[in-house]
Amino acid sequence: MAQSGKGKLNYRCPRCFMRDIDMDMFFDEEKKEYYCLRCCFRGSEEEVLKLNDQYKEKYGRLKERVVDFGTDNEPPKFIPHRAGEQ
Amino acid sequence: MSKLALNIIHRPELSPEYAERALGGKRDVQDESLDIFLFQQECAHECGLKTTIQITYASLFSDKIVKIAKEHHTKYGDEIGLSLLGLPCKQFKEKYKTEDFCIWMFDEETKKEIVDDCFGLFYEKFGFYPESTGSYFLDAFTINYMKEKYPNVKCAVATCWEEGPKAYHTCNNSWYTFMDGGPWNPWIPSKVNSHCPASDKEDDSGIVAIPHLSRDLMACFDGNGSNFGTHPQNVLRGMIYYEDEKGTEYPYLYNLIDQYRHLAKYNDGFCYNMMFVGPGWLNKAGRWESPYERLAKSYKDVMKYYGKLKREGKCVDMTMSELADYYRSTHNYHDPESALWKDILYGSDKEYFWYADWRMRCCLDFNQGGAIIDLRPYIARIPQKTGIGTENVYDASYPYLIQANYRAGYFTHYAGAGTIESCKVHYKGQTADLCLCRTMASFERFPNGIQIKTNPVTVSLAGLDIVIQSTFFFPNCSCGIINIKREILNDLHGEEVELEEYFTGGFGTTEYQPDMSKIRFETYRFVLRDDIPNPLFPDCGVLREEKEEMQFAYKGRKIGQGQGRTNGAFAIIPDIQTKVGLNGDEADACSAEEGIAFSPVYHLRISKKLKGGEFRTWLSLEKAN
Repeated sequence: MAQSGKGKLNYRCPRCFMRDIDMDMFFDEEKKEYYCLRCCFRGSEEEVLKLNDQYKEKYGRLKERVVDFGTDNEPPKFIPHRAGEQ
Repeated sequence: MSKLALNIIHRPELSPEYAERALGGKRDVQDESLDIFLFQQECAHECGLKTTIQITYASLFSDKIVKIAKEHHTKYGDEIGLSLLGLPCKQFKEKYKTEDFCIWMFDEETKKEIVDDCFGLFYEKFGFYPESTGSYFLDAFTINYMKEKYPNVKCAVATCWEEGPKAYHTCNNSWYTFMDGGPWNPWIPSKVNSHCPASDKEDDSGIVAIPHLSRDLMACFDGNGSNFGTHPQNVLRGMIYYEDEKGTEYPYLYNLIDQYRHLAKYNDGFCYNMMFVGPGWLNKAGRWESPYERLAKSYKDVMKYYGKLKREGKCVDMTMSELADYYRSTHNYHDPESALWKDILYGSDKEYFWYADWRMRCCLDFNQGGAIIDLRPYIARIPQKTGIGTENVYDASYPYLIQANYRAGYFTHYAGAGTIESCKVHYKGQTADLCLCRTMASFERFPNGIQIKTNPVTVSLAGLDIVIQSTFFFPNCSCGIINIKREILNDLHGEEVELEEYFTGGFGTTEYQPDMSKIRFETYRFVLRDDIPNPLFPDCGVLREEKEEMQFAYKGRKIGQGQGRTNGAFAIIPDIQTKVGLNGDEADACSAEEGIAFSPVYHLRISKKLKGGEFRTWLSLEKAN
């Protein structure tokens, strides 16, 4: 069995990423799966992408644009971001 | 709104930090690196922005890069500076016989040798000495030497805000860039410690320093430091983007730039941004799950946004040396840097207030009632040396007294304590901590200082509602003081409550507390003497000072619990040459308490019983030799 190598997009372990650790994964050609050296995660590209989407859920304003920082003692005002605009 | 002062910095690296190993020698790294540099330059120029080209050591051996830099200087007005980043290359490794590449980690003689080598080679190639330079971090020794030998230098990249244990952990405990504790915006570094803004002309190192990134002052402090800055590839690294029909979108990047623009409100019109992306981040093999196309698009898009701001008259692109001149023309030594910073990413109403001047750096968290969650005693001018042969081979962070995230902050489990400054309210055997009162705050500038006032909060104890408003005042004076006022706004119907201002401190640069045995405590009480009348002010009487002292011994002992008229509790910490105190006129009592081995902190407290009105105290910082 040949040694493992990096995958095509250098995926990080999604479980370690959730605890703020950037841990590049390796790809096991034989089992066709990514795996982490730091924790017990192993999974397909599809599973990695699914977990990465879950990670982004914490960014509640991910798709929003600030239109006004408001007065000091109140939160900023946001609107949905329009694709292609800045 | 004032115009955003903008620095865009590009460095041609012929051995880009990430590419060499990542590509494994399979591709031509030199050509690829040069292509990336040219792409970055093109992005800026297309948007009408000028740059500062920081020439790396390896580039000084490339006639091609020297020629390009000269051309871009002539054609676009780009500044040609010298970077002390990007040292590693064949020539450097052969000459210095080392794999080290961080200028602040070398021994003093080698630092001088490298500086002379780089500046000498630069002169040879360009016929002049650079006005700007930089590294991830520049220690005072290197800056002082550089300024003495090459007085032309006026600007340098000198730290990367809050890059310390967080970056280390993110890289699975392998990234030794410990440089927490500095300012987030440009500053004039002290000759003694480059983290500290200079106090006066005598202390002025002669340069204007800028951070390596303009970072999110909340997301970076709370979480992984490497994902939240004006660095598009950092934002991709943090997965702060989404896909839409028009491609990858990252409104957070624009929100971040806009919040930096908003800081003009708190700094007499001054606001600043910088962008400094090394070519390795635009690796053609892709980075952080992103293909090259997305990396390149994000870079281009941010340049477009800066270009748009420039066209709208909201931004001025400057070279680093131009920024230095501009900064010196708009700032005096004692001008503070302030930032009332709001969450723009997670969707909370959290708000921080960051303050920095020559005496301290401090952060108030209004999600915790205005508790102090970070405090660095710049007034102590801790003369940390860094590099091989010193006590800090790699750790260049400026020590904290409070760092609530590294050291627990408001305490939530059953044994121990965390570093934080806040106020407790006691009534009929019940206690509430203002840390648990979420609020927001307003900023106001006065001729004699800066005031932050919270929205009022209500504490309910034993059926009594107590409405409290906190005010923090940072006075313009020669001592390190924060005035704190807790004001009761409602009628307590004759009931008496006790307000207890407290400071739970530690010291260090990481999560781990060094030995505290050298700490000494002092408490003072001024007690009215009834045996001597005051001939000038008979109503005031004569005060007698009562002082108690204690050496830290991990026994949980306490001193200074008596009654007095004016009180103060102090901790003297020789390891960081700092004396910190809580003081109060008309306080009823104060105390100082040592921690135990399981809870290595110290507590300073000062309290007053009142039926209304206000409790005024002040936190003091002094240098203690």
